[in-house]
Amino acid sequence: MREVDNANPSILNVSQLPSRSRKVTTPRQGPDTKCDDIVYSKRPWLCGSSSLEDEALEEEYGEDPLDAQDIYDLISPISDPEHPHTLGQLSVVQLPDIHLTPPPAGRRGDSLVTVTVDLTPTVTHCTQATVIALAVRYRLEQTLPPNYRLDVRIKDGSHSNDDQVTRQVGDKERVAAALENDTLRGTLDKMLETCV
Amino acid sequence: MAQFKQWALEYVLADDEPVQLELTKKAAKELEDSRASSTVVGNWAASVHQWMTLTHSNDDDQMEDGDEGASGDIISRAKALSFLAGTLEVLDKTILRPDQVQRLIGFFGAMFSYDHKAGITASAKALRQLYSMKNFKPEMGIKVLEDVCKLKEDFRLQTAVTRLEIYELFLSLVEDSAVSSELQHKYGSSCGFALDLLQLCSSERDPRNLMIWFKVIRRLLAEFSPSPEVTGEIFKAFSAYFPISLRSSVTPIGITAEDLKEAVRNCFSSNQRVAPFAFPFLMQKLDQGDAVTVAVKVDILRTIKACIEAYENPQVSVVPYIEKIWGSLKYEVRNGEVKETIDATLEVLRAIARKLDGSKTHKQEVALLRNYIDLVFGDCKDDLSNPTYTKQAGLLLMTVVTANIRGYVLYNAGFIEIIRQNLRQPKSSTHTRDLLLLLNSILKTRIELFKNRKDGHTEDEEQLRAETRTHILSLFHDVYLPVWTGSEEIDVLKQVALGLGLLVRQQALDAEGAVSLLCSGAICVEICKLLIVTLVKPLTLSSNDNQSHDATLEDDVVLALRTIVMSYTDGYGWIIRSARKEIKKRDWASPSEYSLEALKVLLSRLAFIGCSEIPTEVNSDTEPENPYSPLRHYDAWLWTLVYLFPLSLQSVTADSYILSSLHAAVIWFRDACEAKYRASALAQYSDSDKNWLAEFEQLPGTFFDQVESAAMLPDEIASSFGEDDPETYRQFLRLSLFIVRGFYKGATAEAPWSEQALAQLAQTAALVVQNLSEKLQVSCNLAQEAFSLFKTSEEKPCASPFSGLLTVGILQGLHPGAMTGLYQPGGVAEKFICDTSDLGSSPRASDIKAAVGTIYSNKYPAGPATSEEYQTLKRVLEFWTNKIKESVTSSDIDSDSFNSLTNVAMHTIAGAVARQEKLVLDLIPVLHEAAGSPNPNGEIVARSLGVLVQPNSEVLNKETHANIKRFYKQWAYNFLVRPLYDLARPGSDKDPKTTARYSIMILSVVKNCPFTIYQDDVESLLRLLVTALSNKKDDSVLSEEAAQAQVIAALEILVDILANEPSALKGFLKEIIGGTTKVYQESTPSNKTLHRALTTCRKLSLQVIGALPKTLEERYLLPFSRPTQRMLALACGDPVRKVREAARSARANWAKVV
Repeated sequence: MREVDNANPSILNVSQLPSRSRKVTTPRQGPDTKCDDIVYSKRPWLCGSSSLEDEALEEEYGEDPLDAQDIYDLISPISDPEHPHTLGQLSVVQLPDIHLTPPPAGRRGDSLVTVTVDLTPTVTHCTQATVIALAVRYRLEQTLPPNYRLDVRIKDGSHSNDDQVTRQVGDKERVAAALENDTLRGTLDKMLETCV
Repeated sequence: MAQFKQWALEYVLADDEPVQLELTKKAAKELEDSRASSTVVGNWAASVHQWMTLTHSNDDDQMEDGDEGASGDIISRAKALSFLAGTLEVLDKTILRPDQVQRLIGFFGAMFSYDHKAGITASAKALRQLYSMKNFKPEMGIKVLEDVCKLKEDFRLQTAVTRLEIYELFLSLVEDSAVSSELQHKYGSSCGFALDLLQLCSSERDPRNLMIWFKVIRRLLAEFSPSPEVTGEIFKAFSAYFPISLRSSVTPIGITAEDLKEAVRNCFSSNQRVAPFAFPFLMQKLDQGDAVTVAVKVDILRTIKACIEAYENPQVSVVPYIEKIWGSLKYEVRNGEVKETIDATLEVLRAIARKLDGSKTHKQEVALLRNYIDLVFGDCKDDLSNPTYTKQAGLLLMTVVTANIRGYVLYNAGFIEIIRQNLRQPKSSTHTRDLLLLLNSILKTRIELFKNRKDGHTEDEEQLRAETRTHILSLFHDVYLPVWTGSEEIDVLKQVALGLGLLVRQQALDAEGAVSLLCSGAICVEICKLLIVTLVKPLTLSSNDNQSHDATLEDDVVLALRTIVMSYTDGYGWIIRSARKEIKKRDWASPSEYSLEALKVLLSRLAFIGCSEIPTEVNSDTEPENPYSPLRHYDAWLWTLVYLFPLSLQSVTADSYILSSLHAAVIWFRDACEAKYRASALAQYSDSDKNWLAEFEQLPGTFFDQVESAAMLPDEIASSFGEDDPETYRQFLRLSLFIVRGFYKGATAEAPWSEQALAQLAQTAALVVQNLSEKLQVSCNLAQEAFSLFKTSEEKPCASPFSGLLTVGILQGLHPGAMTGLYQPGGVAEKFICDTSDLGSSPRASDIKAAVGTIYSNKYPAGPATSEEYQTLKRVLEFWTNKIKESVTSSDIDSDSFNSLTNVAMHTIAGAVARQEKLVLDLIPVLHEAAGSPNPNGEIVARSLGVLVQPNSEVLNKETHANIKRFYKQWAYNFLVRPLYDLARPGSDKDPKTTARYSIMILSVVKNCPFTIYQDDVESLLRLLVTALSNKKDDSVLSEEAAQAQVIAALEILVDILANEPSALKGFLKEIIGGTTKVYQESTPSNKTLHRALTTCRKLSLQVIGALPKTLEERYLLPFSRPTQRMLALACGDPVRKVREAARSARANWAKVV
């Protein structure tokens, strides 16, 4: 087997990854809380037609246009082709390196949006950079609506061939050709298995 | 003679077992009839002669050539012999004379020398039968053993079944005391026969046979007295199998690897005679290091333990090996990482300590135990000061010191002293924590030892009586308190809290044998005061000062306090007094959210501490404030709540928390009673026809006046029953009813009686009432009280618009049998339900009436149709049905009011539907007609029809004695929906509005039914669903709201069908995909008021589309692939996150359709 490019990358814990802060606080735990659901119920009398509107549900159904965190949630669970970790855990994908233009606030529903993702390979000579960039692009193409334009790049200076990789992944035809390749497609599918 | 020969021949020729059995029975009968005359027996035995002679003429070499004739002979010879064996099996066991038995044994025994091919199975069987004959003599047993052993090497060539037969024979012989004493007499300790057996059976591998063989071996070791040499030989025979395992087999044989291990283990532990072989052998196996797997290691350790426990005379059998065992085992714990091995090791060490202590009847020399514990102490003492090994060393010491009372009394002081010394100079906070953990474990084990003191030797209790306790008494001031005040580590503080709980629970025996708490009352009070501060603190701090989210310390303090007050009962009084003072100190007029949360948590914890267990009765050195009662804490807590309520007339939330806490206390204490006395305890009281409420009336004043006593139950009642008396459960309910009644009486329309507070109180009432027996509910006349709310006519009624909640509370808990009084014509219930004048006041008013109506029509006790009661019920149901019928066409009623009416009507009828009341059948056509009315109100009726199969589960459930028939939905569906399918089908001659109404009705009911109920109508239903999905949005047939609701219902049903019978959709794919796509596209969030409904529509439609590729074959979907994928791609940009998620998942599913 070929030696991996970076045998010991630094790995983030899943709980350290950026996530949408949950608005609902976790209920108190403790020996005395067994009957809390009953005695402190917010809806003391579920009865008939006019039961109280559930606040949590209301929040869940609120409008919330696609933002950088959404993009991050889509691509951070992609597995690294070499390590048993995700791109998020390896910091290949980082939230501050994802940009949407125009920004979500004040965007119209069908306006054209450009998503820019800068990837940071774990080492400058990473041979898998192209595959990773391709996987990110492929994943986003599969999951974003058609009015989103993609720009997947290797962060400046983070790779010895950053320009070349960026150009490769930006070339639509080359990407389409790459996706025709069964071996490569197999690798990509394997990497995307961890995305739900 | 000829007869026997004939039978033998038939037997040999027969293949059927029943036929063979019949023949042997005939032969046996013949023998029995002749009273076993020598001639007949002789004839019988000679009947197989023709096959036997052949044997002797053929020699073995010829047979082994395997020519067919010879093998045929073997088979028939074997069958012939088994004819004889079979006859013996069914023969009367008393009939053969000793000489005949002897001769037959001689005959069959000889087979083991001569006929290894054909004779063995039948002979073994025959010998077993002969062994069970009445005239079998012990000396014959010896002959049998000797004969069988002649089989020698050919034994292993026999089939497993034959060998099993022989093993069974051996086992019967060695287990027979007469035979075994004969054997001992003949062979003495040299046990020659045993060596023959070992040789014979040396290479057995069949698990079933091994199980028996091991039993034989165990018997040889335990009951015979083999010399050390023979013991060594026997040991070799069975230890060769250790560690035993079992290959998994396709055909289960009913024996597990565990059984085999157990059987080998029984050989090891059979007798102390084995000790000199067993211990060195096992230790050597154990010391192989990494070569031993965990499973094997555990097997070894368990075997060692079994040996230690079983061997007698430990002085000789165990003591010589202790040092060696300890030497090997200590590292298993000290450096071990696998829990199973550590546990098994500790078990061994504990077993040694117990063995050296002695048994219940006989104590060993104290020196034995002393030497052992000294050995362990010497090795582990120093490890306690090393943080890396503190835990392990502590575990080892704990195990040997607290294995029995003698060891504990001798060594605990020294052990605790070492811990104390180390705690003075801890190496780190984890070191402190581990040492405290150890200390706590000692206290915990002491409680166990104390509790079980009567199970062991009588000396044990005496030792406990005389033990020194000062070192435990001083733990609070010397150890726990300094750590508590000096440390800030939560993990350390948690151990202190738990330790204090255990400390207070310690009991001691005085010289007379009376039990009391070990700690003085003063120390207990000090501990309570110390700990309660932690719980009250959040209330006294501001939210900025208390940022900590980790409540684990508080949680442990709560547990500790509960432990404490369950033993030191006065402690609860201290705790609630100090909490009460702090709560009262604050101004609750306009509390911050933080303060409210702090109050809520504090009340919840206090309720748990006092009410979640039944306190135990133990004396203390101080005179208790009140005599013991199992209800003491519960009573005190209720009193406190009464005292606190209301905290403020402005803060309704704070006050509702007090009522929540009352509710919680009732739940906790009910659960505690349930666990301790079981519900059946309530059934045994015959005086349950007493009217408790009338008794309450006799009490002086109301409980709100009894401020001074800090309790509600008078002492003479409270202390009249003990801890284990199930009367506690009944008195708890009585007290609870008393307090509920008090609060009901006090409820008014003004603050603090918010809707929340009334609802909370009502639920508490429901809980109390539901636990009362039907008889008691009747004798207390609770059905009427549900409407008078425990108030007399002079008292001011509760004018709150929500007072009906209190009515619901009581009704909810009643048994149907206790409701009878409410069905009197013109009674209070009928009036209440049929009064529509108060419906306009608030939407809640209709909900409350609906709940009362549901219960009323559901809990009707069965009775004849002619009874007044039944007529009243009928009147009520008809009243509401007619109300709808009349108002649906009326133009002077607005839709809100009509909604309220429908709400009450449908819920009232739903109660009756749940118990399949026949009256409903007459009402259904009226409802159908009302729903079909062209008036807009008809739409409301149609949409509400689903309520009939979905009554409020909070109001109606089995726990609260509701009458819910198992198949009521099926029943209702048949009458409510089935007739509508035809009517709902659109047609040129039908009014589109009416058909639309019918469709709404169907969907509204079906939505609330499981798939199995409507699966026969899926076809018709799908047509309706498709129509519902493709309805034009601006269609004037339906209101926008109704159309939306219908679409949602249709999508929900589609999801259900997809999950259960997706193939039904095949014929409708075009319409469904088109319809759902249209729904998605049209449900754009333009309208603010319908935002949620629209979002739900979008999400559900994507769910339906997304589920298709998962459930249907690709070929059906291919034609729709491209447009659907395009639409899903767009949906991935939906403004709502949940919808986007559904879209992505659907898109991924459709991506595979190409």
